Amino acid sequence: MQKLWFFLIAAVLMTSAVAAQNAPKYLTRDGKLKFDATATSSPEKIEALTNSATCVLDAGSGDMAWQVLLKGFKFEKALMQEHFNENYVESDKYPKATFKGRITNLSEVNLAKDGTYNAVVSGKMSLHGVEKDVTANGAVTVSGGKIRINAGFSLLLADYNISIPSVVSGNIAKEAKILIDATLEPKQ
Amino acid sequence: MSGKRILMLVAGLALIGISIGIALWNKPHENMSEAKADVTLEAAALFKSYNTDEKAADAAYLGKTIAVSGIVKEVSKPEGAPAKVTLDTGDDFSVICELDGLSQHTRTDFPVGEKVVFKGKCDGFNLDVQLSRCVEVK
Repeated sequence: MQKLWFFLIAAVLMTSAVAAQNAPKYLTRDGKLKFDATATSSPEKIEALTNSATCVLDAGSGDMAWQVLLKGFKFEKALMQEHFNENYVESDKYPKATFKGRITNLSEVNLAKDGTYNAVVSGKMSLHGVEKDVTANGAVTVSGGKIRINAGFSLLLADYNISIPSVVSGNIAKEAKILIDATLEPKQ
Repeated sequence: MSGKRILMLVAGLALIGISIGIALWNKPHENMSEAKADVTLEAAALFKSYNTDEKAADAAYLGKTIAVSGIVKEVSKPEGAPAKVTLDTGDDFSVICELDGLSQHTRTDFPVGEKVVFKGKCDGFNLDVQLSRCVEVK
């Protein structure tokens, strides 16, 4: 039995309507998340990618939960990766980022019918020990029994108590862009 | 010491400093084929550690180079990403080893049921125990 699994599923399902309890659930362990904090004046890209974000979606209620391990973010430069983990997100102390939220315009998104829909997701994101409200716009594509989510949003690093030393402030943007690309399959 | 010599000394030190800075900035990622494992254990034991006490397991394994052995349960090849090999733990959840995108691999297909050993970095617990930058150990 896996306690974390039940925590995650319960978080998604507890707020679901009774009518939605039998709705299909979708899952991925292979979600791609790109983190881009490149300042406009930076000569180098300050970006990283992970291919291992987990997402659970309740197709009935539109509730979703995301979880990503920060050590899974890979940078092109080893030194950037070290600084990201040790100085900025402190991944030994705060190993995960999480998001729990809901598709707020579910009436316009038919997860039971093939097609591409514009979706708005709102919820709470936890990073570096700080929880903040986040809203993201994206596209949800339903095809062949799978649900693909492409979305993006920005977050102010200072909101999450991530401070940027003045010596590198010309390279690192105050606002990081997060891009999501994940294909969810029905949970067995 | 004359002014010219002091100037040359300062310039020399600055050059050394810049060289060290450039070398650090461009230092390569760890070569996983040559990396020494901090810990060697079975996939089931690694998963059990995390499933029992995640904080204690993080303290022991997070960010460490781990050599993990286990039976192949599944191999997936996500689009545009390195292959992932799922090792059986006897539970519904597993140890997932993502192959290293910077290393050359002698194979990326692993028959289900084969016993394998991978060496990789422990990223933590996200339903499964996740290891990245994995290379096969033979």
